[in-house]
Amino acid sequence: MTQLLVNALIAGSLAALIAGGLALVYGVLGVFNLALGQMVLIGGYCTWWLYQVVHLPLAVSIIGGLCISAVVSWFCFEVFINPFYKRHRFLPLVTTIALSMILDGLILLFFKETPKAILPGVKNTFEVLGAHISPVQIILVLTTLCVMAVLAYVLHSTAFGRKVRAVVQHDHAAMSLGIRAPLLHRFLFIMSGVFAGLGGIYLGIDQNLTPVFAFPITIKAYAAIIAGGKGNIWGAIICAYLIALVEQLAVGVQWFGLFYIPAGYQQTVALVFIIFFLLFRPHGLFASRSRSA
Amino acid sequence: MDYALHTLIVANFFIPVVLGYNLLFGRGKVFHFGAVGTWAAVAYAITITLVSTGSGFLALGAGLAMAIVASAVLAWLSFRLEPDGFGVMTIAVHLVVLAVILNWNSLTRGALGIPGVPQLSFMKSIEVFALVTTMVSLLWIGLFAWIQRGAFGRKIDALAEHEWHAKSLGISRIRVHFWAFILLGISTVASVFFQPQYLRILHPNDFQFPSFVFLMMIIVAGKPGSLWGGVLSTFLLVFLREGLRFVPLAPSVLGPVRLILFGLILFIAVYVRRDTLFPKQRSI
Repeated sequence: MTQLLVNALIAGSLAALIAGGLALVYGVLGVFNLALGQMVLIGGYCTWWLYQVVHLPLAVSIIGGLCISAVVSWFCFEVFINPFYKRHRFLPLVTTIALSMILDGLILLFFKETPKAILPGVKNTFEVLGAHISPVQIILVLTTLCVMAVLAYVLHSTAFGRKVRAVVQHDHAAMSLGIRAPLLHRFLFIMSGVFAGLGGIYLGIDQNLTPVFAFPITIKAYAAIIAGGKGNIWGAIICAYLIALVEQLAVGVQWFGLFYIPAGYQQTVALVFIIFFLLFRPHGLFASRSRSA
Repeated sequence: MDYALHTLIVANFFIPVVLGYNLLFGRGKVFHFGAVGTWAAVAYAITITLVSTGSGFLALGAGLAMAIVASAVLAWLSFRLEPDGFGVMTIAVHLVVLAVILNWNSLTRGALGIPGVPQLSFMKSIEVFALVTTMVSLLWIGLFAWIQRGAFGRKIDALAEHEWHAKSLGISRIRVHFWAFILLGISTVASVFFQPQYLRILHPNDFQFPSFVFLMMIIVAGKPGSLWGGVLSTFLLVFLREGLRFVPLAPSVLGPVRLILFGLILFIAVYVRRDTLFPKQRSI
């Protein structure tokens, strides 16, 4: 059981990174980005390329990977989101499907289908309370928690955070107070891309990068957002951990002492989670009240 | 000649489902992104019944039953959810169907697919396949032209334009959308009934997410809601997709190039139709 909890912590940290950034974007823009999984992979693959092919130091490769993620996100926002979301907030849903195909094709063309690990062979584990965990995984989990803490500080204790929350609550009211909402939209989308890139680096260090991961990552992030209450960043982060725990328990526990659910269904748990929440709690666990005049 | 017939047959396989999806998504603006999930479930119901019993009638019955049940459930879900929530949930439903297909090895043979699908006694040559599938396509075009021009088409237009105003005119969203879902389900049966018999195999790769993107691309490129636009873009895009097989590129390059090309086509189509794909509601 301890091992399942540790696995959930590791998988949940990855999902929380991605879902956190995405929840911020959804809260502000109200648009779905279905190319999120591909943006995650781009961060991971670029870091792999800088570290394994160009042979830059790891820290420089990670910074390089994050910078490329930021540039790609900015490009995606300007071309695939910005010209469309003000016409109709559902248009980016279709344009980002197109974007996901283009990015999928580019990833396959440049990095091929074979799995890529940023740090191959760093899997030495040690035992803590009966659970096996590697030092790298501990660093990854702690890094995620630090990123979340910084995000919490910025959002809740700085003037910039207050502006962000104001735009999340009511775009036009915030603009009437002199907040440059369009600039914030752009900035937050780029930040969500950087968070996604960080998630890709996490994935490339903890596991392997393969193009098939893209879509399940996107859907899992949306499961967390929907379950957490659309636009509620902390709800999304909590639910990312919750979904990871449910995934681990679903396939790791002998149900009623009779059977195990096959491991092939593990990814399906997040999907069933979405279906369940949308049906019985369409506004999610932590739905925030929107202000209206 | 055989290649031209093959392209015609593949386009004919798409026509019914394109028309059904065009009615629901293109014209009704219902965010149903799980059409390929229903397609997969129906295809497996038909093929498994056909392989195990050898009876075309039973296979057709199983396909229709699966289509009606799946469509009714999806219609019910659409009434409970907001449009974007329903869109994401239908993607989830599609992926759940795929997960079941890939993991229920004893029934579906998982990633290997179902080979050796028997053909009906009269479907033994490519010419017969071309003739029968063209007849089905023409029948479906006629049926949908009639439906779209009639009261049902006007009701679904009114609901897409302004649901409250449509309700005030006595149009029931539940009734109209329910039948649009059922029509899409039945169209799915018409699309996939002959497909595994023609290919002699049913493979899960045919129901991955790119298949849905291809379907959406056909609708958007052909002008959402337009019957003849949908038919024309089906033929053009199927011709392009099948024609790409002859481009002298390695398969490891051709696959990604195809993804990029179709992604660009979808993006350009959305850009061109950005004002009509999801039009703003009229206000007084």
